[in-house]
Amino acid sequence: MKLAWQNLLHDRGRFLTTVLGVSFAAFLMVFQGSLLGGFLRAASRFIEASDFDIWITARGVQAFEFGATLEARVQELASGVPGVVETGRACMAFAVYRKPNGKQQVVALVGADPNLGKRFPIPEVAERPEDISPESVIYDESDRSVLETLSLPARVEINGHRANIDHEIRGFGGFLGVPALFTSYRNAAHDLGFPPNEGMYIVARVGKPYSVADVQQSLRQRLPEVDVLTREQFAHKSRMYWVIKTGAGSAILTAAVLGFLIGLVVVSQTIFANTMENIEEYATLKALGASRGFVARVVIMESLICGAGGTALGLAAAIPAMRYARSLIPWIHTPSWLPVIVMVLSLLMCALASIASVRSSLAVDPGRVFRA
Amino acid sequence: MPDKFLAVEDAHVSFGNGDAQVRALRGISASFERGALSLVMGPSGSGKTTLLSLLGCLLSPDDGTVFVDGVLVNALNGEQKAALRRTKIGFVFQSFRLLHSLSALDNVCLGLEIRDPKQPERMTTARELLVHFGLGDKLNHEPDGLSPGEKQRVAIARALAGKPPILLADEPTASLDAEAGRNICQILRNQVEQHGKTVVVVSHDSRWQEYAHRTIILSDGQIKHQEQVTNS
Repeated sequence: MKLAWQNLLHDRGRFLTTVLGVSFAAFLMVFQGSLLGGFLRAASRFIEASDFDIWITARGVQAFEFGATLEARVQELASGVPGVVETGRACMAFAVYRKPNGKQQVVALVGADPNLGKRFPIPEVAERPEDISPESVIYDESDRSVLETLSLPARVEINGHRANIDHEIRGFGGFLGVPALFTSYRNAAHDLGFPPNEGMYIVARVGKPYSVADVQQSLRQRLPEVDVLTREQFAHKSRMYWVIKTGAGSAILTAAVLGFLIGLVVVSQTIFANTMENIEEYATLKALGASRGFVARVVIMESLICGAGGTALGLAAAIPAMRYARSLIPWIHTPSWLPVIVMVLSLLMCALASIASVRSSLAVDPGRVFRA
Repeated sequence: MPDKFLAVEDAHVSFGNGDAQVRALRGISASFERGALSLVMGPSGSGKTTLLSLLGCLLSPDDGTVFVDGVLVNALNGEQKAALRRTKIGFVFQSFRLLHSLSALDNVCLGLEIRDPKQPERMTTARELLVHFGLGDKLNHEPDGLSPGEKQRVAIARALAGKPPILLADEPTASLDAEAGRNICQILRNQVEQHGKTVVVVSHDSRWQEYAHRTIILSDGQIKHQEQVTNS
């Protein structure tokens, strides 16, 4: 389809404008997609970091970040349900952190029993993973500057209780806007002032030959006053809460859709203008006997060339931009499939944008070729 | 029985409605001989271009019939008419109608591509045609870099690409100087003499009369006069 190429190259200014428009749209989609991907991942990160099958929460808890305490008997009752081979506890609440220099900072304090899972951030004693270092807390490296720990280990205070910051971890940067500190469930409950033996989240591991669904059903019958969810269900609920029910997720989604629409309008306008400028040539093509398919292919090809060029440029620009963004927004995450999706969406966008142009080019009367 | 290779029979064409209606053709019947150059003349508004549009399957008559290569065009849909144009008709326009973004060679190639997208030697065929018309040194020139006479020769090469049996030319010399005009007249005449093409030329240019086998004079949408030219 040399004609499509030549039509575009003949008006380089317009071609460049279109390519830049598409690249902007592709860049925006990658960026917003990464924000959304990271947001979704971060919203259920703690839940998915545990390797327990079932989460028991207070009735109506929407997300891990907003839990409420459960009575101590809940864990005891859950432990007695057939199929439950192990239980554990986790909690999260906001606390006041006193920095080594004496300044105060609100933090999210996350506590968990040591058996919650190898991926769950808990300050273990070196070479003894079954033990948790007493009074020990850890944090994500992205929160270092906010917590102002000049060197480790550091002595700090959480809600007036002494704590030692042992080391840093990676991959648990928060999206709440406050740094998170991780410690044992016992320490966290103590620092947060929970009554003894109460829990916020009770997790249960299902043993063979029981199925998770059957045990979940049994737990619901035994504990009708709480919510009993599988790990996947609670993770999904948490993600939906953050994405749908809070403005933050909706804003990210809206911006991603906006990126798509901006690209759609830019490409649509340019391709339409290009088509109308060359409408006499489409009439000539039709007069010469070009089929509808041939004429439509020229227009669509012009659009797709703009789409492919623009997307390639947008993705190329997104790579360093995302690298830089990660240093500012630690939870941002670009899934490996996102560029492929953006490429497909961009080409779809360009194909959609060419509909009006295709219609115009097909509707032109070939008889006008004799009007000089 | 009249030859229905290329013909119109009792064709009526009107444009507009009510008081603004213009009757471009009023029951015209004409048959164009195979392997001859026919010249259609007449004043502006006499219906010359409308007649050419009918023969080129670019317009349907309100009434009457049109035959192209023996096919009754009235019964065809848009795609079938396009297919008939593609295979049977080459067009030459007053304003050349070359695609501005393509070189001379690519314009001719496009004519071949439209007719047969799978033809493997389009480039070679297009080059040979342009060389034949004396444009061997202008192959890669875009239309803006060609003189009017050169543009019309490229347009004729495009029209001849794919070897259609019929050539329809609308005022092909109107935009050309005398010498270039004579050159075009001779080229089209040669197509009849050497390749047996059927050529219909619509023109105000009286020079064509010495190249035409037959002249039809139109007036007010009707044939006013027609004659077989003996000195051709």
